[in-house]
Amino acid sequence: MNLLYDNRTLLLAGLGTTLQIAVVTLIASIVIGVTLGVIIGMTEGHWVRRPIRGAVELLRAVPLIVNVYFVFFVAPQLGIALSPYMAAVVSLSLWGGANATEIVRGGLQAVPRHQRRSARALGLQEWEVFLLILLPQAMRSVLPALAGLMTLLIQSTATASLVGVPEFLQISRLIVERTTVMDGIDPSFGVYGFVLLIYFVLCSPLTALSRALERRLARQAGRPVAEDAAQQAAALPALS
Amino acid sequence: MEFDPHYLFTYLPALMRGLLVTIEVSAVALVLALGLGLAGAAIRYLAVPVLSPLVAVYVEFIRNTPLLVQIFFVYFGFPAVGIRMSLFWSGVFTLAVWAAAFHVESIRGACAGVSKGLSEAGAALGLHRWQVLRAVVLPMALRACVPSLLNTSISLVKNSAFLQAVGLAELTFVAVDRISADFRMLEMFSVLLVIYVLLVFLLSYAAARIESVLARPFRA
Repeated sequence: MNLLYDNRTLLLAGLGTTLQIAVVTLIASIVIGVTLGVIIGMTEGHWVRRPIRGAVELLRAVPLIVNVYFVFFVAPQLGIALSPYMAAVVSLSLWGGANATEIVRGGLQAVPRHQRRSARALGLQEWEVFLLILLPQAMRSVLPALAGLMTLLIQSTATASLVGVPEFLQISRLIVERTTVMDGIDPSFGVYGFVLLIYFVLCSPLTALSRALERRLARQAGRPVAEDAAQQAAALPALS
Repeated sequence: MEFDPHYLFTYLPALMRGLLVTIEVSAVALVLALGLGLAGAAIRYLAVPVLSPLVAVYVEFIRNTPLLVQIFFVYFGFPAVGIRMSLFWSGVFTLAVWAAAFHVESIRGACAGVSKGLSEAGAALGLHRWQVLRAVVLPMALRACVPSLLNTSISLVKNSAFLQAVGLAELTFVAVDRISADFRMLEMFSVLLVIYVLLVFLLSYAAARIESVLARPFRA
């Protein structure tokens, strides 16, 4: 694996870009998700819900890669000059935001209805009901799913390579291609195997965190853990 | 950017051929994934020595790495060490192995949710452990995890679009190829949008039907 060592500066720069995209999109996704999720959760029967839910459903139904290409190709047509990096960040944030919206909405919905009614009956203001009663309870069930979304966002940054962002996967592709042309040997197996390994090292602690949060939540709620594991397994692939 | 129906009609046959490839690759992978997932879950449930920890590692590895990199690893990496598959079959292989990892977790979770008393009763009747699994645990567990299996299957169909990256001429490839040639994106992206939304909608509808049919014996 001399090849990897020789290219360490390039690979580290690529990894840096990957992590940068992941952090920026994660923050944007959470901001979008909390804002829209709260709007949907708080405006029962209002017309604002429809366009928001429509956009969320659309973003989740279309493959992520189509999403990335859409922003990359269409933004310049609308007169918005986006670099490949920005196009990737915008499309991944929209996609992550749509998924985060679903998570927050689900968390708010999971709070038993009598909580809101009781709080109102006790004379709390609407904002107090939301901030002191609903949000803390929703957050507990939302945290494991958000940790899961974080690993998905790190994984989905690889999609940015398709529009030419020099992130980890794209750099590895360049190294593979250069070595194939210059040295006449194909290092794909080793290099892409290494890339898989690094993503694994990045993502598995977050997945473990998500599971630990889930288990703690299940214990507090007095529900059997096995059932939740199945539900969580159901929730995660739906996001991808 | 004007919407030009003529342009769309010219390339509609090519797009439909792409859609067919998308459907073919997903359908084969979908069936393979269910088989693999079932086998993996059985190995985990029966705690088969050596194999069971291997399956656990496989599941963790697939779930914590990007599908796109897995596709590159299989399509470019495997031939480098002498394993050759056509583009279509390496796509099927990657998608199936990816989805099966999620299936293993769903089925295993559902098996763990089946009440211990039932499997103990099976054992008391003299059934082998694998007979208990086949005749008692699986029929109940599979019903419980149908929603997650279908969810993963829908994701698989959407994720088949990633095969565009290695040049499989599926729907997204055909459309993006046209866009980079003619820069007529309005037509192509509308087609992609409509077809994928329709596909996901149809699959979700089918999923809801399957769930309601399976729930029938339990309705009062």
